[in-house]
Amino acid sequence: MIIPVRCFTCGKLIGDVWEEFATRVKAGEKASEILNSLGIKRYCCRRMLLSHVEIIDEVLRFYEEAEKRKEARNYY
Amino acid sequence: MEIEVLEKDEKNMRLLIRGTNVPHVNALRRIIMTEVPCMAVDEIVMLENSSILQDEIVAHRLGLIPLKTDLDSYNLPEECPCKSEFGCNLCRVTLTLDVEAKEGTKTVYSDELKSENPEIAPVSGKIPLVKLAKEQKIRLEAYVRLGKGKNHAKWQPVSMCTYKYMPKIEISKNCDGCGKCVDICPRNVYAKTENKVEIRNLMACILCMDCVEACTQNPPPIEVSWEKDTFIFSLESSGALSPERILSEAIKILDKQLKEFESQIKVKKIEES
Ligand SMILES: [Zn+2]
Ligand SMILES: [Zn+2]
Repeated sequence: MIIPVRCFTCGKLIGDVWEEFATRVKAGEKASEILNSLGIKRYCCRRMLLSHVEIIDEVLRFYEEAEKRKEARNYY
Repeated sequence: MEIEVLEKDEKNMRLLIRGTNVPHVNALRRIIMTEVPCMAVDEIVMLENSSILQDEIVAHRLGLIPLKTDLDSYNLPEECPCKSEFGCNLCRVTLTLDVEAKEGTKTVYSDELKSENPEIAPVSGKIPLVKLAKEQKIRLEAYVRLGKGKNHAKWQPVSMCTYKYMPKIEISKNCDGCGKCVDICPRNVYAKTENKVEIRNLMACILCMDCVEACTQNPPPIEVSWEKDTFIFSLESSGALSPERILSEAIKILDKQLKEFESQIKVKKIEES
């Protein structure tokens, strides 16, 4: 749903680097290089970021659409 | 016992410990993971939560946030003179969170947690806690307590604490320098120079013995073994305490436990005689 705070296996804090990781991947950088530069060494922590899908963004879209519809109704 | 610091920064520490044994280093490792106290959110009172994450999930996420710990001014709840279940200001810190998404979708970060004591705050302010859609609200109070790793992993001050034997590699003169071991080594321990194999990075060796197996000669001229009384001890703090504080605290606890053990043996001996 939302990025876990810590690595499931070792307990390293990984939640705080997710947004930087995601934007840099979108910008076309190589994932392995980003992880190295963020200092995430172990493969347990690396898979936390590599395999994560931020589903909460998809769920929030329903609320955003509902909000838009409400605004449109108020406009007419 | 002799300790040499190989590497150290604010979160990581690597030590070379000479003249000790496995029971001793392992005792240190286990005490660091289970007995050294640190702070974490223990209980929360959810006042309002209209986000799409359930109360339990938000509570769990808050619990896992590593907090900067002050071991000198706070007591463990079970050792605190207040003896109250709720706690006093010597054994409890309150964090509050009060956020509303007024303009569109908003991510709530850990730096929006307001602490009663500014010294006890999240290690990083960039941890996403929840995402709120427009007009959603979250309001809560979180109680931070000291605790031990044996009760919950959130109270573990380290995310990694291991030790390994100091490797010992001997290459005899019979080596023909084919370089098979240089290619197969997963840790790049060897380097090839002019038909000779040299050890470049001995400490990186993980004693996997792939180099011995890959060797074309029989018997293989490489002998991989380890020094029985030398260890490489690595420690990675979660950020709650500094690595040297974790180690000194662990040594204090080990001393205390050994003294208690000794006094119990004495009592037993007196009972028997
Ligand atoms: Zn990990
Ligand atoms: Zn108290």
